[in-house]
Amino acid sequence: MSPIVRILAKRLGTSLLVLAGVSMLIFAIARIIPGDPARIALGPNATAEQVANLRAALHLDESIPVQYGYFLKDLSQGDLGVSLYTNRPVTQDIAQFLPATLELVLVAGLLMVVAGLPLGILSARFRGGVTDNIIRMISLLGVSAPSFVWAVILMLIFAFYLPLFPIAGRISDVYAIAPVTGFLLVDTLIAGNFAAFADASWHIMLPAVALALSGIGQAARLTRANMIETYDRPYIEMARSYGFSERRIANRYAFKPSLIPSLTIIGLDFAAMLGNAFLVEAIFAWPGLSRYGVAVILRKDLNAIVGTVLVISATFLIANIIVDLLIAFINPRIRLSRRAS
Amino acid sequence: MKRSVKSLAALMLASSILAAPVLAHAGGVLRLDEVAVGEIDPAKASDYADSILMFNLYDTLVLPKQGEPGHAPHLAKSWEGSGTQYTFTLRDDVKFVSGNLMTADDVVFSLERMKAIGKGLSYLFENVDKVEAIDAHTVKFTLKTAYAPFVASLVRLPVVDKKTVMEHLGDGAGEMKDWGEAWLSKNTAGTGAYKIVSHNPQEETVMEKNPGYFLAVPEAAPNQARLRYGLEAATVRTLISQGQHDVASQWLPPEVIKSLAAEGAQLLTEGGTGAFYVKMNTTKAPLDDVECRLALSNAFDYAAAVKMISITDTVAQGSAATGAIPVGMLGANPADQILKRDMEAAKAHLAKCKTKPEDFNLELSWIAEVPLEERFALLMQANFAELGIKSEIKKLPWALFADQVSKPENTPHISQLFVVSVTGDPDTLLYGMYHSSAAGTWQSPEYLKDETVDKLLDEGRTSADAAAREAAYSALNKRLMEIAPTIYGFDRTSVFAASKRVKAPALSDPSKAFGLDGMGFTFRLMEVAE
Repeated sequence: MSPIVRILAKRLGTSLLVLAGVSMLIFAIARIIPGDPARIALGPNATAEQVANLRAALHLDESIPVQYGYFLKDLSQGDLGVSLYTNRPVTQDIAQFLPATLELVLVAGLLMVVAGLPLGILSARFRGGVTDNIIRMISLLGVSAPSFVWAVILMLIFAFYLPLFPIAGRISDVYAIAPVTGFLLVDTLIAGNFAAFADASWHIMLPAVALALSGIGQAARLTRANMIETYDRPYIEMARSYGFSERRIANRYAFKPSLIPSLTIIGLDFAAMLGNAFLVEAIFAWPGLSRYGVAVILRKDLNAIVGTVLVISATFLIANIIVDLLIAFINPRIRLSRRAS
Repeated sequence: MKRSVKSLAALMLASSILAAPVLAHAGGVLRLDEVAVGEIDPAKASDYADSILMFNLYDTLVLPKQGEPGHAPHLAKSWEGSGTQYTFTLRDDVKFVSGNLMTADDVVFSLERMKAIGKGLSYLFENVDKVEAIDAHTVKFTLKTAYAPFVASLVRLPVVDKKTVMEHLGDGAGEMKDWGEAWLSKNTAGTGAYKIVSHNPQEETVMEKNPGYFLAVPEAAPNQARLRYGLEAATVRTLISQGQHDVASQWLPPEVIKSLAAEGAQLLTEGGTGAFYVKMNTTKAPLDDVECRLALSNAFDYAAAVKMISITDTVAQGSAATGAIPVGMLGANPADQILKRDMEAAKAHLAKCKTKPEDFNLELSWIAEVPLEERFALLMQANFAELGIKSEIKKLPWALFADQVSKPENTPHISQLFVVSVTGDPDTLLYGMYHSSAAGTWQSPEYLKDETVDKLLDEGRTSADAAAREAAYSALNKRLMEIAPTIYGFDRTSVFAASKRVKAPALSDPSKAFGLDGMGFTFRLMEVAE
């Protein structure tokens, strides 16, 4: 078995165990926190009889292990139950809201990579100079303020004072795009509607930048620190003595070994953005899963809480597996050491 | 690979800048917002967003009269009856969006469906024993007991298209399966002036004019209405300032409404259906003593409370209360008899109170989801401290509050609540709050047990004579002032900041107001400039 396949199999096995643990934990926690989900769902005017009927229908009168049994039975049929918040199947809600969040997080992740890594490289290459200082200041600003603060600042500057970007939503009202993948940037291209693609790109820019700024700062700082450490290695001295250009040394010899810790952090940041996206989604009225997740927690919508947490956990685990595989692919020592063992 | 990633990013950035000029909006579109989620199944409608949807996508047998008490025919041509029997004659020219003609069978089906689903405001019809179609255009309701506000409650019985719903029954047990719940959560089957274009309960519902509507709809009425959900205050403010939104929800903080008004937004209002109540747990010492309660009622600074919710010199999110019943509702005191702080009276009552001020330790709760209530808690703490009364402020999330009030011993001394009448009738407002049989719900943390109050509430509920009802509610109002289970904070007014391109007579002209929460947003009666 190839080392990559072995790593993948091992990670998948661990991930399944983690998911099972998360499902049990969130299932129990959601039921222990105070508040009657049936009362909240039916609203303040519902009678005691209506509340009792709904409690019975949701099996809330049974013990938690019995309720978990019902949950597993339904889950085996791909049924996460009905959301008391939207009155729709949870799977339908997740299918509708997840692509919006994933699209936002993917674009933010892309920005992290295309902005964070080059900034780190530049900063390390011009260590101590003006460029380095400017980049360090930008990075510090990025990491020191949370995403929602950036969201408000960006909205104020680029939507309120300089109305260059839209304030809310994923696309302008004038476009009607049939959902295929749920990713508007993809669906607009599938529809061959480039004006709509441009409009969707225009809408995603501010929320994605707000979400990515902290990660960009973190990636740049980490890349810089690792590259500076790498610059002290003898092989860099040797490359210099051969007369290689500083650009070539930075991009080819110093950057690649420094990429591994940066990649790990980017992977973790990417997964964390799924949760952090909530306030950014709220500010830009982005109809995503994070906003949905918080809304269902506040309303103690048990089925939706469990469904949302499971999906976010699964995405987190998938992101980690991808990062592990990438690191194994980039770093021959990992592959070789595993082969040797 | 790296180059292609960079190219894609560059393409997105470039296209995002190039796309900027596309922000043109089609004319005649009304854009408003509310808290999520929007429920389009009329049998489950309960909150303000649901009401806006229901009043535009569906119709009811009667409508509240504009600017005056009483009800006018709508889907019904006329009605007769009182006590336990009501017979309605329906219009014969009303069609659903499907093209099906509306008949008495649809009314029967709508009521049976609402009761079977048992959600939303279905409790209003628990007293209906039987509903039958006498002929295609006559429907008869038989009630278990006399219920005077029955006609008023019909504003919450939207009529659905039986034939269409029966064609779309989903999974479920029994002959009626799911009563079309799954289908009606995505589609409409009403006669309303508007029909659904798209619906996402967390994001937006888009509606457009129904060309087959049975009444004439003015040209100036919005061609399309977009109800957005869950927008943040900062987002709404920016959207309105940029001309990308028309009417903000009533849930904006007063400061934001004030700043929008300062920037030129008009302020629309809707009131007369509810009030802000500071409810005292009458089972818990020292508030089981009426003198202690009266001391607190007199010490409360009513003028400061109204000032705290004022937006401009002339508009506020409430007006001074005159008693337990909001001004404009049956049994209310005249608008000029406003409640005022009276520290001398407060001290006199406190002197008769069995508990000494230093022994008070009141729990002043506020609902975590309503930040405004924290300010009132602080106001009360300061007011009561002037009498030497100690108190402790406690923040309670709604879910926890709803749990706690189910037992008197767990219910805080003081709870703050905004309560509205969902039918516009005082019965719907007061019975659930003060009748001893209704104690222990979110509306009745007072746990009031008073025979006179019960008797007057029953009289108001069952009397067929309007004058007798008025007298019963006036007497009830007086009694509730005497025994002070509640501090009647202020009469609630919903304030909406709106762009000048919108005209909404039902929200700006008292002679056109419906006196029913959400009905001011009847789109066919609104105008939107191109």
